[in-house]
Amino acid sequence: MRTRNGSVGAAESPVTRDSGDAAGRDQRPGSPGDRYLGIGLAVALLALAVLAVTTHRFLSLDNARAILASAAFVGIAAIGATPVMIAGSAVSLATSQTATVVAMLFLATQQLGLWTALLIAVAAGVALTGAQGAIIGFWGSNPIVLTIAAGFAIGGAATWFSGGTPVNPAARGFDVLNSAPLGLPLAVYVLLVTTAVAQWSLRRTTAGRQMYLIGENRAAARAAGLPVGRVTVLAWAFFGACVSLTGVFLAAFNTSATVTLGGTLTLDAIAAVLVGGTAIAGGRGSAVRTLGGALLIAAISDVLLLRGYSTGAQILVKGLLVLVVVIAVHVRTTRGQR
Amino acid sequence: MFPIGSLRSGFLAGALGLCLLAAACGGNTTGSSSPSSGSTSLGGKTIALVGYGSANPWGAYFNKVFTERLAPTGVKISDMTTMDPGTQVQKFNQAVAQKPDLIVLSILDTQAMAVPIKKAASAGVPVLVFDGPTDPSVAGQVMSVLSDNVKLGEYAAQNIIEGLRAQGRTSAKIIVLTGTKSMLVTQDRMKGFERVMATAPEYQVIEEQDANWDPKLSGDIAQQLLAKHGRDGVQAAYGMADYMALPIIQAAKQAGFPIGGKDGLIVTSSNCFKAGIDSIKAGELYGTATEDPGTIAAQTADYVVRYLTGKKPPRSEMVQEERVTAATVGQFAEQCGHA
Repeated sequence: MRTRNGSVGAAESPVTRDSGDAAGRDQRPGSPGDRYLGIGLAVALLALAVLAVTTHRFLSLDNARAILASAAFVGIAAIGATPVMIAGSAVSLATSQTATVVAMLFLATQQLGLWTALLIAVAAGVALTGAQGAIIGFWGSNPIVLTIAAGFAIGGAATWFSGGTPVNPAARGFDVLNSAPLGLPLAVYVLLVTTAVAQWSLRRTTAGRQMYLIGENRAAARAAGLPVGRVTVLAWAFFGACVSLTGVFLAAFNTSATVTLGGTLTLDAIAAVLVGGTAIAGGRGSAVRTLGGALLIAAISDVLLLRGYSTGAQILVKGLLVLVVVIAVHVRTTRGQR
Repeated sequence: MFPIGSLRSGFLAGALGLCLLAAACGGNTTGSSSPSSGSTSLGGKTIALVGYGSANPWGAYFNKVFTERLAPTGVKISDMTTMDPGTQVQKFNQAVAQKPDLIVLSILDTQAMAVPIKKAASAGVPVLVFDGPTDPSVAGQVMSVLSDNVKLGEYAAQNIIEGLRAQGRTSAKIIVLTGTKSMLVTQDRMKGFERVMATAPEYQVIEEQDANWDPKLSGDIAQQLLAKHGRDGVQAAYGMADYMALPIIQAAKQAGFPIGGKDGLIVTSSNCFKAGIDSIKAGELYGTATEDPGTIAAQTADYVVRYLTGKKPPRSEMVQEERVTAATVGQFAEQCGHA
């Protein structure tokens, strides 16, 4: 099978190899470089843990709840983005625009009832994102270029049709989405369920395992007869459903929707997936890792806020964290291929 | 069946065709070719509107009212609106090169726009700034119709003090989520807010965070600050716009804080949107203030007419701002209900 750096690796069939076990593939006999990398990451995590526990009020139930709540919206979208990245479609740069349009639709249809509005919103998100997946999966379109174009088109259409004015709901059925059973926002439960579904699908279903193989080497997967197009569409459709859920929760939280509602969701979701250790080139990663990435970013932002650092400092640290993890994953991946 | 290459070509051609069709049919130009009878005629005059883009709800309604007000005069308006500070500088320079009779400008980056304004003055192109002020170094080179941001900040502080005193609190702690701190608009609001809060030293601002006019970021920061200080540690919150104050309310509700009433969190804003008005009516948002786009758009359009007809309006005008609470919400619901 041809590896991503162009060398021809061991002659193993992509249809027989258990690609779903990404963690298993990561457990190669450790080279000294791997050990240093592991030690470096362990030291960094230890330093973060020390910083966290010495921060006033960090170790409180209220703060844990706040970290989970602030990770929920981005986390749901990031979980959706994980299969897309694993399947080798890199990232979507239209995430915030899609979430915004879904949020607008959700609020605009509230008079039809909560469940109908939810169904319409999720169907719209799946259709918009699944269509992009079809163009990427069946026509081999570049996902970055395509989703930049899609982002402009979706954002432009939203501005055109709404006239830039906020969408305000005619009914308040969505209020139930702001509830907090057992003290945790409903979005947190949805994040956990979404993670479990994504993890199970990636590990235990044929389509999930095929996503790893396609991400590892798309050309070889196609040559081996894997349904590249169909599996790519499935990954993107799942992503669309997750982005829709984020959009719906954003709409309910803000009680109105403007074309800027999605904010920095696109880059935040990508950051969470990357910090979780999913390889941007595909073939490696998991939903549970992405959940860890989202929680880690939320926890670091929380520590910085509690210690009185500004919003700018939080963004800077998030950027540095993504950079370090991407480099670490890249080093580890390329070393494994030598 | 068509080969894939033909399909791609067909798809691209179709997309291009749709774009051209949309451009041809959807040319929502912001001018009017003929003035209505009985109104001031400004036929032959041109304005470059380098304002907020319609992706922003405030900007969208401003642009709508401004163009509708001027349409009967026959003045031609070039739409050069944007929400990107870098693009705004480029568009402003293009506008100067076109030498319109007036550039109507809302500034996204105060410092970045100082040099282009000097260039416009050198080129003899008059500039009317609306909403936020210019950099002080070029304030003498422009005309202006400004929101009274200091007053908006004062109203927010009055809302908080009034709400806390109505609850009988003799001490309280307050968190503040501002707009982008580098903007003069934000700085002016904080000046007014701090000035009035200083009259009630029993109430103390314990946190002031830059939420960058971002509703999602406002919600995230509010969740963390409320967790940091706990239910007994925060009694009031100021989100600089309604769309920043409402996420504070949602975050507080999810964290188990009571809202408003006899002992709940007092939350205020300082410029109104329909969602904020609805929240005041529901007894959650304590208060807000006007700075609605319709009022400033009407006053700016009126200024343009006076200027272009040679009536020499004063160099700078301030829009009258109003405080909105449950007691006055009925009076301002229509005014604030368009964005």
